Amino acid sequence: MQSESRIDPKIIEEILKFSKNVIDAPNLVVAPDEISLEVTPHDVVQEIDKTRLLHYRPLTEKQHKTPLLISYALINRYHILDIHPEKSWVRNLLQQGFDVYMLDWGTPTSMDKYLDFDDYVNGYLDSYVEYIKNESSSEKISLQGYCTGATIATAYITLHPENVKNYIATAPVIDGQRDTTVISNLAKHMDVDKMVETIGNMPPEFMYYCFSVLKPFEQGIEKYVKFFKNIDNKKYVDSFIRVEKWLGDTPPIPGELFRQWIKDIYQDNLLIQNKMYVGGERIDLKKIDMPMFTQVAVGDHLVSPECSMPLHYAVGSKDKTLKMYPTGHVGMIASSLSQKKVLPELGKWLAERS
Amino acid sequence: MQPESSKDITDYYKHLSLFWTDIIHLMSSKPQALTSIGPMRAFAANSKKISGELIEINDELMGFNQYLTEYYKQLSDTWTDAQKKVNLKAPDVPQDVEQIEAFKRIWIDIFDNDFTELFDSGKFGDNYGKLVSKELELTKHWNNITNVILQSVNLPSKEEIDEIYKEMHSLKKRVGKLELELKKKEIKKNAK
Repeated sequence: MQSESRIDPKIIEEILKFSKNVIDAPNLVVAPDEISLEVTPHDVVQEIDKTRLLHYRPLTEKQHKTPLLISYALINRYHILDIHPEKSWVRNLLQQGFDVYMLDWGTPTSMDKYLDFDDYVNGYLDSYVEYIKNESSSEKISLQGYCTGATIATAYITLHPENVKNYIATAPVIDGQRDTTVISNLAKHMDVDKMVETIGNMPPEFMYYCFSVLKPFEQGIEKYVKFFKNIDNKKYVDSFIRVEKWLGDTPPIPGELFRQWIKDIYQDNLLIQNKMYVGGERIDLKKIDMPMFTQVAVGDHLVSPECSMPLHYAVGSKDKTLKMYPTGHVGMIASSLSQKKVLPELGKWLAERS
Repeated sequence: MQPESSKDITDYYKHLSLFWTDIIHLMSSKPQALTSIGPMRAFAANSKKISGELIEINDELMGFNQYLTEYYKQLSDTWTDAQKKVNLKAPDVPQDVEQIEAFKRIWIDIFDNDFTELFDSGKFGDNYGKLVSKELELTKHWNNITNVILQSVNLPSKEEIDEIYKEMHSLKKRVGKLELELKKKEIKKNAK
């Protein structure tokens, strides 16, 4: 007597193919440690403590007069803005004729635990802006801030508006009270004083935990299933490994900076109320009066649009533009959408003002 | 001193431990003074701190376990509810590749939605905050124990190292600001 099998043979075929892909993977794909995320040629033109200023080599004969400095976020590293030649934010801007500088915040160690907002805003960022002004013989520069890098850039501009000609705020962290993300919920319930006093810098492991609770099943399971299913697709796999390597490399955040960031932005929401102080001076968003371009991603689950958009309405600028894109936090800066839509729109706006 | 309620038990044992370590230390301090430059004397002088810390760790562990249990309970309850929703939406066992794909999509969407809702809730944030806080308390006690060992071999404690870091930070900040001011003045001067 034979029992009737109800299993679709295609399922067996799929399982066998998937198993084969898993076994073949090491032969087809490089290990994250074996690749370099440095894509576009650049020079390290200045270093202060552990931070560095990168200057990208031009890709066009003529360049716009005003240089652009990118203030990257404090979480993960600047590589996401230059993750792949076909998806590189930096390369695209260079091809549009911009003179691009990038601020690499480096890797703080225990001895950097007392670095605070003042050091980042009035120390590192101000020094690098002065350097660029001097090197390029420009009186002012264009400044782009991404994510928490935009929080620092925003504070900087209110204190040194005379140095900035144009401001591009990309997914800026501004209004913590309105932020609807999981990160914001965790930040609001955190005893940040005890954390900083006990462990000093915010360790990367804690940041990984915060990221792991964002879409845990899509990001924790489905993403890797897709990776093994597409193991023959070189372009997909290359992009996947690069982004994974970037995701797995986040530096600690200096304790004092983290304390002020969590308290002033998420818990007391001082920045949007013009009540935050940096280096003894009040951050008044109305002092941002230069042309401003704000970019927000509708599907951003790290910095919700409700957290970023209030900046557009709070500044004193008359020439200001708010753009919303149907993508996520990373999709806005490193995807085909960013190449086809986000960057051309930004380039056009910036070129007219550079 | 006798414990009057369960609340006083920790304090009672802490007192008991301090009493005996103090008495034994006083009784034995003179013979120990013979080896006053060795690590054992310094360690013995501070060892009562270790017993105090260990008793407090025990107390903190109780609180930590309470919040950890609540943490896993919240995860487990959310998992059960999400699975029930999946069963309602896709009651049949998938038979072919397309059905498996559709089932997987439903499963991931429901689980992601439900868990995001949990992580976004006040009850999760509150418990998670307390859990982390208790972990930090444990870390503090561990730091204190380590400090006793460091001091027994004449090495600086965490607080002493922090003091140096703070001083260095303050000095670097002052130098950095002065350098920047100088540079700005130089640039202005050259521009003229």
